[in-house]
Formats: sequence, structure tokens, C-alpha cells
Amino acid sequence: MSAKLYALGTHLPGDVETPATLAELAALLRACNETGRAAVLFGGRTLQGLGAVPKRYDVAIDCTRLDRVIEHEPRDLTIALEAGCRVATLDAVLAACGQFVPLDAPRAAAATIGGTLASGWLGPRRATYGRARDFVIGTIVALADGTIAKAGGMVVKNVTGYDLSKLYVGSLGTLAAIGQANFKTLPLPSVRRLAVAPLPEGSRARTTANIAALATEPAAALIVTGFAKEIDAPSGVDGCLVLLLEGSERTVDAATRELRSALGAAGVPQTRLIDREAGFAFARVLDAYVETLGSRSMTYRSLGLPSDTTPRIDAFARVARANRLTLETIEDVRTGDVIARLSARLVADFATRAKLFDGERRTALAEARILVAPEKLRAGLDAWGAPPASLPLMRTLKSRFDPNGTLAPGRYVGGI
Amino acid sequence: MLTVAADRLRDELTLALGPGGVLTAPEDLAAYAFDAYSDARLPVAAALPRDAHEVAAVVRIARAHGEPIVARGAGTGLCGGAVPVTGGVVLSLARMNRILSLDARNRIARVQPGVINLDLSRAAAPDGLFFGPDPSSQRISMLGGNAATNAGGPHAFAYGSMSAHVIGLEFVDEAGDITWVTIDDAGYDITGVLVGSEGTLGILTALELRLLRTPRAVRVCVAAFDGVEAASECVSSIVAAGIAATALEIMDRTIVRAVEAHYRAGYPQEAGAVLLVEVAGESPDVEASERAIAALARDCGTLAWRSASSAREREALWAARKGAAGALGRIAPNYYIQDATVPRTRLPQAIARVEAIAREHRLPVGNVFHAGDGNLHPLLIFDRREQRQLDAVVAAGHDILAACIDLGGTISGEHGIGYEKRETLPLVFSADDIATMERLRGAFDPARGFNPDKIFPSGAVCGEVRTPSPTLSHA
Repeated sequence: MSAKLYALGTHLPGDVETPATLAELAALLRACNETGRAAVLFGGRTLQGLGAVPKRYDVAIDCTRLDRVIEHEPRDLTIALEAGCRVATLDAVLAACGQFVPLDAPRAAAATIGGTLASGWLGPRRATYGRARDFVIGTIVALADGTIAKAGGMVVKNVTGYDLSKLYVGSLGTLAAIGQANFKTLPLPSVRRLAVAPLPEGSRARTTANIAALATEPAAALIVTGFAKEIDAPSGVDGCLVLLLEGSERTVDAATRELRSALGAAGVPQTRLIDREAGFAFARVLDAYVETLGSRSMTYRSLGLPSDTTPRIDAFARVARANRLTLETIEDVRTGDVIARLSARLVADFATRAKLFDGERRTALAEARILVAPEKLRAGLDAWGAPPASLPLMRTLKSRFDPNGTLAPGRYVGGI
Repeated sequence: MLTVAADRLRDELTLALGPGGVLTAPEDLAAYAFDAYSDARLPVAAALPRDAHEVAAVVRIARAHGEPIVARGAGTGLCGGAVPVTGGVVLSLARMNRILSLDARNRIARVQPGVINLDLSRAAAPDGLFFGPDPSSQRISMLGGNAATNAGGPHAFAYGSMSAHVIGLEFVDEAGDITWVTIDDAGYDITGVLVGSEGTLGILTALELRLLRTPRAVRVCVAAFDGVEAASECVSSIVAAGIAATALEIMDRTIVRAVEAHYRAGYPQEAGAVLLVEVAGESPDVEASERAIAALARDCGTLAWRSASSAREREALWAARKGAAGALGRIAPNYYIQDATVPRTRLPQAIARVEAIAREHRLPVGNVFHAGDGNLHPLLIFDRREQRQLDAVVAAGHDILAACIDLGGTISGEHGIGYEKRETLPLVFSADDIATMERLRGAFDPARGFNPDKIFPSGAVCGEVRTPSPTLSHA
């Protein structure tokens, strides 16, 4: 396997390992831990740029051969899979029995279960269905010293022992390697409909307010500005509304009627409905979260309240203008997320402007984190934004789980 | 603790909290020696702080004296989680009972830990919102305790347990420092691991909670079956069919009769078991779901089907269901409630095993449980004045847990491990699994001053410490 595929920042790994079982994965980690080599875990490499570039990096461990479905009892609405399973595989296995887990991972055909969980991925449908972490009912992990440890189980309600799965979700492979994840599933809604509407100038604020007041809530509601290739729809001056309706046919039809009148009242004349290809079109929108324009773009995620998206978008716009970068945004009306992609036309211009932008945004958008940036620039950027108050506790956690700093040292918040 | 040292500890606490904030007289401390599982010894003192700074002061003082700290909400816990097994300071959060803010636009409430669960939903109701987790104790239990135990309730089936609703919290750590964390913080999910940690990692002093929109349509129905197994089959088929019910609760005849004697809610007393079904959501969907569930109930041999015709009737059915344990307490000398959870398709088998075990130990059993989640609540009825029965209830309890684990389940779905089930934890988890959990604990509380005798097995079994045993007579 080519080491180049596993380059991080300017580092190449000395070895690339591809364990096929959890026991092999644990043995590899133990060996690294005992010989002082630093290991970085890889899934589908869709979010590998999350976090800082590791301080040390000797071994790449590619988990994609851990790809078995371990246990699936559709009548229990639970499923257990190895971490290297692709999200698209999970989706397909579950869809065949009318179920789903709302992970909302971008590039689902490549993204793995383990990577999606480890990255703490947050999708737009979480306002409706809950977060990925809330669907994880159990995990089996390998710790840096090779210990294999289980948390939770295969039941949907469980308070037996600490819920360590919560700790592993979002830990970006710095505490343990997720080897297996167990999920509870949901019945698949019978109808999905994507409504796409260009927003004429001056209609955005009213659109947002009217959507928040809808009696039948959409599964997701995004206002996209830019991202022309991913959205595949004519944008209005104020962006393009992309709204996903899910439920029974009657409910979705009723919601569509209500939506049309709410948009009409907001001065939005046209709404295109996508029915048969709704899932595909929505997946394209999710892809936009991590889609790059080669080495001349980077993307941030800012988390916040639905009521304060506008000042955050304005702050991105201000700093982007000051540094002559083009800004594209996805405003998540329901969760309050703001996704901001910044780009320049020339790679050379982008490199200098991106660093300046990242420096300046530390005051206006201290909490924003980088989702994706050109590999060569990452070392000079602040991937995490301002660290939270619990940083000292996080350092202690790291020292308890990975005292030798075997797992991606330096990749995490505050240089953990 | 030596009298002199105890006096000094009490003096320091009184200095920090004022005379109204500390209880030291044995007659006052008696109220802090027990919870809904058992009683133990008196604590050295009970501290009643009014804010996080006072909590921090209590933690520092107790730590300096090497005394354990046992946090306590309303004391409704069923596993001895709030019992001061080895004395120390009981820290009651009951006076911290204010709703700090209610943000209807963003559907977020900030509360102190002593706010009563139901009071939050009442406060949010004018904005068309409610709080999801609704343990049966919700009229008295507090949100801090709910969070510490990751409590569930009948609606956990649809909305998830506490951990899916706590989006941020403030806690006092072992050093007496106060920290706010949220699930959106960059870094490890400190919020997620504190919820459900049963007071062993830190003291929760404020919670940020997600509120839900009140559904536009709600239906509550009751189906009668000739036995619990048939009712369980029905639940398994509803879940498997993917019908979106918001609650699926089963009560057997023993429980229904106890409940009807007190509440007269209209549950059929002649049936072997009743299934309480709630569907909520958009009006056409709710009607369709009710029809589909009624059809499945017929397939499973339902004896009768009734749909509540008014909000009042719905509330009466729910009040009776949530008061089931208390109602049984009025007619049984004592009972011991368990909380095992099994995969949902295993419910009928689990129930059959529970009944066989009860017969074997010659104990009457009542079953009232969150069937949709596979979460059993067998209530073993006994008289604690009779040693044979006391021994039998402990043995039967153990057998039931072992049977549920054997069916792929676990020992607690929502009550917690506490003191009661700490020695049972190794039935579910290996030494490595438990050692990994201890790593987490070691990061938060290396000296093990927070609720030290809970969740984890004692290692060497100490007869003296194992004195608590189920004493429940009124829940």
C-alpha cells in the first residue's frame, strides 16, 4: 500500500498496516506502544484532515479490512458492525429491512463507521433524530496498550457501568481504536422529499423565521450560498434553501403545502421538489461539507444556536473580505451550524491569505474548527479554535488512556 | 470518624454554608441515611448548599478531612446510589431548585439540579415544549439525579434517556473547581460521560437541557391479553414492524389490580396483562399507527382494545401506570424491583424465565415494564421480617439478572448500578472492561472521594459493608 495515501501534513508514515481483525489491531497498537512508535488510525480518509497534524507519526493503521457485519437482528432494531464498514454498507443493509441510522456522513461510500464516530461527525438531521452518539449502544475498542475493552451492549437502554462509548465518539483516535460499534436503528420514513428554492434578495430573514415556525418540522433545513456544483440548482441572491421532508406520505404532502405557503409569505416564489432522487440529492449536499476546490480552499464548522447564525456568517464574511477570499456558506436553520468554505482563484494566493484569515478569525470566530484544509497548509492553521475550560481534564484523560502518547499525539485539542 | 474530627468537619461546613445549610443532629441525619433502595449508616453531616460555590466549598472541606461525598437529589433512586454506605458527607442538591432560563426559540432550558423533573415540562408547556425523559418518579425526582443516573422512563422508548437530552452541564470536580462543559465543546465528551456516572466523577450543579416540541396529536390505548407473554409478543411485533409508538408499557394482573385498587383508571382487571400504547405526532400518522397496532394486537390474541377518548382519560391511565410501584407498596409488605434489559425480541422468553424463577423461590412477582425498550421491572413481593423470604428475594434477584444476561441483555436499563448491583457488574463486564472504566474514574477522581462504594465491585467482599438490603415498602 502506498505510503503517500497516508501522508499527513508533510509526514509520511514509515509503515502502513492493514489489520483484518480486532485482535490484530490490538496487537499492532501494543507493538507500537512498546516500541515508542506513534500510530494514526485511518478509515475512509474522508475526514482525515480533522484536527492538527500529529507531532509524531510512524505507523498508519488502515482499518478498512475490519468490515464485517457482526450481528443484525432487524426485529430488535439493532446492528453491530466492525469499524471499517463503510457508512454506505450500513445504509444499504438497514434499508433492505426498512431501517436507518441518521449518521449523515459525507461521502458515505468511502466513509467508515469507525471514522464517522471517531470524528464526532454532526449531521443536519440531528435536530430531528439525535446525534450519532445517541445511536451508539455499545463499542469494543483496542486501547494503546493492546487491551480490548467493551462498553455498553446490544440493548437499546443501558446504564450498566460508565458509558465509555461517549468518550470514544469524537476522540479522533487519540484515546482508543474503535473496533466495533453497535447501533440502535430507526424505521425508515416511507417518503423523502427535497425542496429546493432560490431565495430572492431580502427574503432570507423571513424565510428562516417562517421555517422555524412550521408546524410540521423538516428533517433538515439548510440555506446554501455558493457550492453551485454540489447543489445543482440556481441560487438566488440570498442563497438557496435546501429542505428535507421525511415521514409518511400524508405528512410529507401536508408539510409540502405548509412549506409552499410559508415560502410564499417570505417572498420566495419558486420551489422545486425532488422526490425519487431526494436521497441522492441530499447526499450531494452532505458531500459539500468536505468538498474542496483542490488546494485553494478550506472549510470551517462553527457550532452555535439557531438564533445566532447570522452574526457568525457576517463575521466569516468580514474576515473573508479583508483577506480577499471567496466565502461560501451552509447555514443550518435547525441546528445552528454554519459551514464556511473559503477559497481563492490561485493556489499561491490562497496559501498566504488562508493563514492570515485563520489568524484573524481567532478573535471573531474563536470557536470555529477546521473541517478540511490543504494538507500542506494544515501545520500553520489553528484546527481547533479556542480550547474549552475542560482542557486540563482532557489532558489527564489522555494520560490515563494513552500514557505513552501512541495514538496520534498532537492531533487533538490543545496539542493532546 | 473520631468525634473531635467530626466536630471540626461540621464546624467548617457550618462556617461555609451557614447554620441553615448543614444538618448534624442524628434525628435530622436519619433522613439522609437512605434512599428508595435501602438504608445504611448516618452520615457525619448533611450539607444543603444553595449554589455551585457552596458545593465547591463542601467538596474542599470534605476532601481535606478525607471524608467521602455522596450527592443526593430527591432520594428516589432504587439502587442505593445516594446511600452513604461508609458515612461521610451527604450533599443534598434539593435547595438548588431554580429554572435558570428557558429559551423557547432554541428549545434549551438551564436548570439547577434540584428542579423537579415534571416542573420543567410544566414551565415549558406555555411555549409548546416539554422535557422528554419522564421517569415514573417525575413528580418528585430531581433533574440532577435524573442526569446522574441517566434516567429514562416510559418515553425513553421514543425520545431516549437523559444522555440524549443533557447538552451541557456545570460540575464541581474533586479539587472543588467549577467547570461548564457542553456537547459542542471541542474535545472529549465530558458531558456525555458525566451523565450516568452516578455521582462518582463530580457533582452536577447546573444542567443545560434540550426541550422537545409538544406533539400535535396523542392517542393512548389499552389492549388486554391473557398473559404477559402474549402482550410481550405483541410489543415485539410492533417494534419489528417499525410502527412509531411513543410508549409501549406492560402491566401484569398483579400490578393492574394494585393500580386499580388505588387509581380506578379503568384498566381491565380480569386480563392476565395489559399493554398501554401511546402514539404521538402528526394527526393522520397517529390514527394510522393506532390502526396498525390494533391489528397487530388482534393477531397476538388481544382480548379487548380500548382507546382513551379524552385527555383526562389519557392522563388517568398514565398516572396509574406511573404510580404502579407505589400502588403495589400499599398492598405488599415489601417488594424488590429490578431493571434488567434484554433485546426486544427476547422479551417473551425473559418474562417466562422471570416467572419460573419466582415460582422456584416461592415468591409472588408483579411485572410492570417499559416493553418497547426491552426494559423489565419485575417486582418480587416479600416480607422482610421473614428471613427465608429475604434470602429468597436476594437469590431470585440474582437469578433474574443472570437469566437476562444469558438472553443477551444487561443488568440495568435506567435505574443504575449504585450500591445494589455493584457486585453483579462482573457478570456483564470483563476485568479489562472494568479496568478501562476505572481509567475514566481515575482521571476525574483519583482519590475516590465521590460516592466511593458505588458501581464498581468491592473486590474483597466485606461483610460489614454489605449490610444494606432491599427494604422498599413505599416508592
